Amino acid sequence: MNHLLEFSHVHNLRERCARWSSAACTIIGLFVLGLGVASGAVAQTTQSPAKTTKPATTTAKPGQPLGAPVKAYGSKGAPITMEVFSDYECPSCRNLFENTLRPMINDYVASGKVYLIHRDFPLPMHKYGYEAARWANAAARVGEFQSVEAALYDNQDAWAANGDIAKYVSGAMSAAEFQRVQKLMAGCAATASASIPSPQIIRVAQASQSCAFDTFIEADRAIGNRIPVQATPTYVFTYKGQHLPAGSGIVSWPILKQFFDSLLAQ
Amino acid sequence: MTSNSRSGWGRILLIVCRLALAAIFIYAAYAKMKPQGGLPWSLASVRTSLSMFAMGVDSYQMLPQWAVSPFAHCLPPFELVLGLWLLTGVALRVSSLVATLAVSVFFTAMASAYERGLTISCGCFGPGEQIGPKRLIEEGLILLPLALAVTIGAFLIHRKRAASASETPTGEAAR
Repeated sequence: MNHLLEFSHVHNLRERCARWSSAACTIIGLFVLGLGVASGAVAQTTQSPAKTTKPATTTAKPGQPLGAPVKAYGSKGAPITMEVFSDYECPSCRNLFENTLRPMINDYVASGKVYLIHRDFPLPMHKYGYEAARWANAAARVGEFQSVEAALYDNQDAWAANGDIAKYVSGAMSAAEFQRVQKLMAGCAATASASIPSPQIIRVAQASQSCAFDTFIEADRAIGNRIPVQATPTYVFTYKGQHLPAGSGIVSWPILKQFFDSLLAQ
Repeated sequence: MTSNSRSGWGRILLIVCRLALAAIFIYAAYAKMKPQGGLPWSLASVRTSLSMFAMGVDSYQMLPQWAVSPFAHCLPPFELVLGLWLLTGVALRVSSLVATLAVSVFFTAMASAYERGLTISCGCFGPGEQIGPKRLIEEGLILLPLALAVTIGAFLIHRKRAASASETPTGEAAR
C-alpha cells in the first residue's frame, strides 16, 4: 500500500514537474524572443540585389526618340517607392486599385510619403489587357495617365466585354488630348483594334515594331520577370534604396498603411 | 527483433521527428520576423517584418480586417514558443497536438486560397513563396504527417509508460 501511495505521489510530482517545465519553456521562449528583438545586437549584413527598381521615368537614350512615358504618382523623393505590376483587365488589380491604391494616392502619395509606380504586366489570358496597356502608355505620353488608369479600372467590366477601350480613354480627357493620344496610337492600329490572345501574337506585334508603346510594356514586363512576378497584382517596395521582398494579391489599405508606418518609423 | 529494440527504434524515430518539427516551427518564426531588405535587427525592423507578414495574411482574405494585424503579430512568436516547447520534449502529447492543429489550420488556409484561385504568397517561411501544388504537397504530405506522427508517437509512448508504471508497483506490492 505504501508503495502504491509512494508511486502515486511520485507520479503526481512528475506531472506537476512536467507542467511547470512547459510553463518555464514558454517563458524562456518569450524571453529569448524579447532578447533577440530588444538587443538589436545582431546586425544583418545581407544586401538585397538591386534588381527590381528602376527609375519610374527614363530619359531618352541616344537614338531613341522619346523616353518611357511617366506612369507614376507622387514625388520621386518620397522615402517609400511602391511598384505595382498589374494588368488592366485583371479583377484583383482593379480591386487593389479601387480599394487600396486610391485611398493611398489621396493620403500617403499626396503627403509625399510614397511614390507609386505602375508597371505593365499584361497577362496572356486577358483578351484586351495588352491593348489597354498601350492606351494607358499613350495617355501617359500626353500627361493623362492617372485619369486614364482610373477610367480603365472603373469601367473594366464594360471594355473587357467588348474591347471598346477608346471610349473610356476619350471620356477621361479633353477632345484635343484624345486626338493626340489617337495619333500616338496610330502605329498600334493594326494590333490595337484586335485582341491579343497569345504571347506568340504579342511577339509578332513586337517584331513588326508597329507600336512604339510595346517597347515600354515589354520593358516593364522584363523588370517583372526578374523579380519574378508570378501573378498580378504584385508589388515591390523600396525604402531609402533598400529593396524589400515582393508581395502579391489584394491587401487592404489599413494593413498597407500600417506597413508604411512601420517602415517610416525605422 | 525483440519488442524492446523495436520500442527503442520507435523512440529514436520519435525524437528525430520531434526535433525536425521543432526546427521547422522555429525556422518559420525566424523567417517571418527577420528584418527584410537589409535592415538591421531592431524592434522597429521586426515590427516592419511582422507588418509585411500581415499583408500576406490579409491577402488570404479569410480573416476580418480587425483580426489580421493581431493574428500576424502573434503567430510568429507562437511558432517560436511551440518550436522551443517541442524541442524540450516536455508534455509532448500537448505540444505535438497543438503543432498538428496549427499545421492543419495552415494547410486548410492554403488549400482554401488555392481553391479560390488566389495567386498569393504563402507567407509560411517569409515572403515570396507562392501558393501552388508544390507548396500544398509539402504541407499536406510532409509537414502534416510529421506532426501527426509525433502526436501519435507521444500518445503511444505515454500509454506504454503508464501501463508499465502501473504494473511495477502492483507487482512489488503483491510480493
